[in-house]
Amino acid sequence: MLVEEKMKTNNFLVVVTDLEFLDLNVNSSIHFLFPVLGYSVGFPKTFSFAEIKVPHSYLYINRILENESIETLKKKLMSCSNENIVGICFSDLGVYQIVKELGLNFQLFYMQNHSTTNVHSINYYLEYVDSVLVSTDITREEIDAILHHASKPLIVPFFALVDAMYSRRKLLSNFQEEFELEKKCEEVLHESISQNEFRAIENEYGTILYANKYIDYRNIIHPNILYYYINPLGLDKKTLLKVIQGEEILEICDSGFLDRKTYYRLKEGEGWKK
Amino acid sequence: MEKVELLAPAGDLERLKFSLLYGADAVYCAGKVYGLRANANNFSLEEMEEGVTFAHRLGKKVYVTVNILFHDEETKGLDDYLKALDRIGIDAIIASDILVMKRVLELGVKFEVHVSTQASILNKEAALFYKTLGVTRIVLAREASLEDIKEIKKATGLEIECFVHGAMCTSFSGRCVLSNYCTNRDSNRGGCAQICRWMFSIDDVLEPFSMTPKDLNLIQYISRMIDAGVNSFKVEGRMRGIYYIATVILVYRRVFDLILTNNLRDCDVQYYLGVLNRVANRESTAQFIEHLPGKEEQYFLGREEVSNQDFLGLVLSYDEESRMATIEERNYFQLGDVVQFFGPSIETFSYQVQEIFDENGEPLEVANHPKMIIKLKVNTKLHPYDMMRIKVFDKPNLL
Repeated sequence: MLVEEKMKTNNFLVVVTDLEFLDLNVNSSIHFLFPVLGYSVGFPKTFSFAEIKVPHSYLYINRILENESIETLKKKLMSCSNENIVGICFSDLGVYQIVKELGLNFQLFYMQNHSTTNVHSINYYLEYVDSVLVSTDITREEIDAILHHASKPLIVPFFALVDAMYSRRKLLSNFQEEFELEKKCEEVLHESISQNEFRAIENEYGTILYANKYIDYRNIIHPNILYYYINPLGLDKKTLLKVIQGEEILEICDSGFLDRKTYYRLKEGEGWKK
Repeated sequence: MEKVELLAPAGDLERLKFSLLYGADAVYCAGKVYGLRANANNFSLEEMEEGVTFAHRLGKKVYVTVNILFHDEETKGLDDYLKALDRIGIDAIIASDILVMKRVLELGVKFEVHVSTQASILNKEAALFYKTLGVTRIVLAREASLEDIKEIKKATGLEIECFVHGAMCTSFSGRCVLSNYCTNRDSNRGGCAQICRWMFSIDDVLEPFSMTPKDLNLIQYISRMIDAGVNSFKVEGRMRGIYYIATVILVYRRVFDLILTNNLRDCDVQYYLGVLNRVANRESTAQFIEHLPGKEEQYFLGREEVSNQDFLGLVLSYDEESRMATIEERNYFQLGDVVQFFGPSIETFSYQVQEIFDENGEPLEVANHPKMIIKLKVNTKLHPYDMMRIKVFDKPNLL
């Protein structure tokens, strides 16, 4: 199936990292995730509930929440009358708990990228939520197997900056204070041994280090996909359109772990033997 | 007051025994699979069974980490492994993947489930979610504040476990795959290469810097944590040696006992803090317990990691008649040195080395070969597993 055909049959979930993207909503296959003021980390721009004016939008709550935040979120959700908000994408299971406690009728998408690495766990999460974002830490074969066996349609990464680390610490502020540097909330960190780069974005709730190349999973095609997920942080609207239209953008992307299997034992051959 | 537990790391069977003998109420360890220290020695099922028998004989507990985030290829042996742990009689597993929690429910095994710190729980609602999965204990994220601990305990009634001592991740545990990117080693399956301790640079800015956090040390907060409802106080360090484990666990044991008898004085805390700092190879701070850590709680440039050589010897046996202790030497000492003996069933005391004998009773001037067997005449009764170290601090007088 060509990407153009995919666009006709599938929906995209696009994180709103630039207000210009909102024009794309004329294409009804694109739905937006709004990072939420006070409840999101790793995005330079966040939105209050009232600022979400696009129909069929989702809240993107990716913070790990402490008690005070979950309490204030609960109050905000209880009094939320914005009909444009149809669902919540979250990574803290406390969010699921309060939505159920309050009996609210939001679609719920579990998006903790590192904990959705096998089909059994995903199917257990699907007992609670409407869909789950498949992890970017696994290979193409693993994703295929998950899509084949998942009990509900899933959200699959399409093109995205992916978080490689989430710290509660204000890592950039600490560094800038230590060396008396100008305050910046975004920096690219270079790691010289492995030649990797990470884009660090900090707000008052912590710091996200993104792998500095967009993962390009646009060739994953499967009938059990509910949404294709796009985190276009740092892209302009023109490039985002190219992404959606399937154009080659080789210089800024790679295939992540799709074709790169990770390991964890330094000595091979050890393992559970009955 | 609910029972308070001191929980110690056990990287292998020897360390399990030291942890328990030096005052831990429970230990946590991993089998050869499914733990986040994939390249540590860990336990075969036979060793684990021996460890469980040893612990239960002392009235203590063994928890097993099954806390990786599974890929499909690891899931195949999980049920068999859980059943094997059940047969051995472990007391609980520590899990982070929902798959493990659900399988425990479905298999009907007897042990309890504790939610790992890998699940990054910082609020009562997330804890309540896990309560619906039948777990009995939450290991909170190291980022939890005293206020969060108190509220989670009050709202859930679950047992609360908190790390109080040892190394910290820069990230929330479970939320970092830097290792995957930089080394291809999967941090969430036990392969973490500790990339956050590597050096990074920003274009045109200074020299490379690290993001390494200083270690965690909450010895001064134990009373307040007990009041907040913490049930289990966990020491990190399954890769650490027996001297570190014995020292740290004994310090916390003594502090707990002083707190529980209302006898803890500031001079005790200062003394024990000194002992803990001496055995550590990095600086430590209280990290998140009262406020968000800032620049003082981490290292930026090359840090000094000190190799500790205070551990002089391990007592193997003691002959009460001749008052002769047989000791396995660990670091150099010589005639005239002032040392300390410490152990789980003795009060720490100082001792000046006046005579050293080899195994055959021949006099020596120095003990200078690691693991050599020497004998010392010591008037105070010693026991196997007691240790000898360089004397660094004077212990405060007893009440």
